[in-house]
Amino acid sequence: MNLKEKMKRRLKLNRPSLRARARPPKQRTALGQQFTAANLPVSLSMQVCTACEHHQYPPAELCGHCLGDTLLYREVDTAGQLLSRSELHHSLWEFFKRRIRTKPWPIGSVKLRNGPVVIGHLGEDTLQTGDDVAVFSHSDASQASVLIIVSAATPIATPTQREHIVAALCLEQPAEKQGGI
Amino acid sequence: MKDYQGVVMTTPVSLGYQRQSPHGASWFIGMVLRELILRAGVSKTDVEGLAVSSFSLGVDSVVSLTQQFGLSPRWIEQADMGGVSGIVALRRAARAVQAGEAEMIACIGGDGAAHRSFEHTAANFSSWSIDAAFPYGAGGPNAIFSLITARYMKEFGATREDFARICLDQRYNANHYAQALLGHKTLSLDDYLNARPIAGPLHLFDCVMPCAGGEGFLLMTEDRARHLGLPYVQILATDELHNSFSEDPVQQRAGWACYRDALYQRAGLGPDNIDMLQTYDDYPVISMMQIEDLGFCDKGDGARFVQETDMRFDGSGKPANKLPHNTCGGQLSCGQAGSAAGYLGLTEALRQLTHSARSNQVATARTCLVSGYGMVNYDRGLCSAAAILQGADS
Repeated sequence: MNLKEKMKRRLKLNRPSLRARARPPKQRTALGQQFTAANLPVSLSMQVCTACEHHQYPPAELCGHCLGDTLLYREVDTAGQLLSRSELHHSLWEFFKRRIRTKPWPIGSVKLRNGPVVIGHLGEDTLQTGDDVAVFSHSDASQASVLIIVSAATPIATPTQREHIVAALCLEQPAEKQGGI
Repeated sequence: MKDYQGVVMTTPVSLGYQRQSPHGASWFIGMVLRELILRAGVSKTDVEGLAVSSFSLGVDSVVSLTQQFGLSPRWIEQADMGGVSGIVALRRAARAVQAGEAEMIACIGGDGAAHRSFEHTAANFSSWSIDAAFPYGAGGPNAIFSLITARYMKEFGATREDFARICLDQRYNANHYAQALLGHKTLSLDDYLNARPIAGPLHLFDCVMPCAGGEGFLLMTEDRARHLGLPYVQILATDELHNSFSEDPVQQRAGWACYRDALYQRAGLGPDNIDMLQTYDDYPVISMMQIEDLGFCDKGDGARFVQETDMRFDGSGKPANKLPHNTCGGQLSCGQAGSAAGYLGLTEALRQLTHSARSNQVATARTCLVSGYGMVNYDRGLCSAAAILQGADS
């Protein structure tokens, strides 16, 4: 087998659909990686402008309001209102494709009381547009921080409580390929 | 804003539509350029300007293309703005022709569709999308537009049957347009309603099919077009606006609502005088939004409007109110050829207004409104653009 054939074969065997374990998208920009780091110790952390108090999300180099180089990560309020919700029956990513085989994947968008609009995984199926919700961050199976949306009444103060919600979503476990590779 | 007197659009070209293609973007752009030169009966050196739009040029740019194609243009522009790229290229090029910077400019959108290339584009669309949208289910544009569609349906009471009106009439139009990738298939209301679900309220026929293809046209002075004997179209008015209504939590309107009155005023026309409408139909809700924001009906009234309006090219539908809409089937039935999709409405309008469309020719088409929308940087499409065109013989 020459090198070209070998590479071709390796590429074929390395297709996402053939992998034993699929994980959620890991790719983040450098700013996204900072977001992950800043969110490890707290329930929700975001860039806040020290000059104008603007809450910046998605993470950016400069404040979207005053353009100041004055953004610092701070623990922020988790409260917001659900703007819209949807279930994905189709995904471009193997991890979600495998999850969707059992149940459509629910996502939503939230207007945080602090200003930003965020997109997140829905932690509870019963949430409806207009509901008061809370948004917290948690590491997924790719070790990147993602946002989870739950109802405002759900307790999320302690890491254990948040852990339970994420475990129920199967976000921390890679999606295994059934029936071997 | 100054008018576009003395500048005209000619020579619409659409080619190479395929679901998958081994060719790269430069093949589609170059083939369109070749076709433009052949049809206009000019030589390569006559093309003094080149505006190009593409998502898949990779490390190349319009500069690389000048060397690949053996051109030495004195004016170049790259408008990689998805659904508004055609109208933006048109606006830039028209001013350049008017200012005498170039006498003839080719505006071309083209994209390839290699195996799994759509996945790559969706996963790497923008830094905000990479960090804050794609990780949530990796649905690509379907996920974002399902949120926008769900909210619109809840707020204004639009139903899937209303969206079906747009998709069904467009499919009828595509059945009469040879290049439409789905034009050989008919679509019934039952097919539409029973299609497999994709994301929230979006089902299969609400989503465009990514494909390869190229679209383009020439801009030149009116004198030159007359001299070459090319049928041409005049530009009555255009406008664009980006990141408008950024305070709206969910997108329900875009820039058209800001500039439509001024646009109609410059054109000396109102919505009632528009014979034909070409909207950017990446999802039916977006077409409905354009119909509302461009003044064909009030905000939230789009569902009623499409129920009461026949949008077929030949007016053969039941409703009494007629407005031919996306007369070649739009992206929903032709396929979405990356950035070329932002040119589709313009080339189709050109064919119609110069009476060179074939079996999907609108009988009495004199004025056409073309609108563009695009670039989902994070949670909404940021760009909006519109152009009102008029056939020269009216």
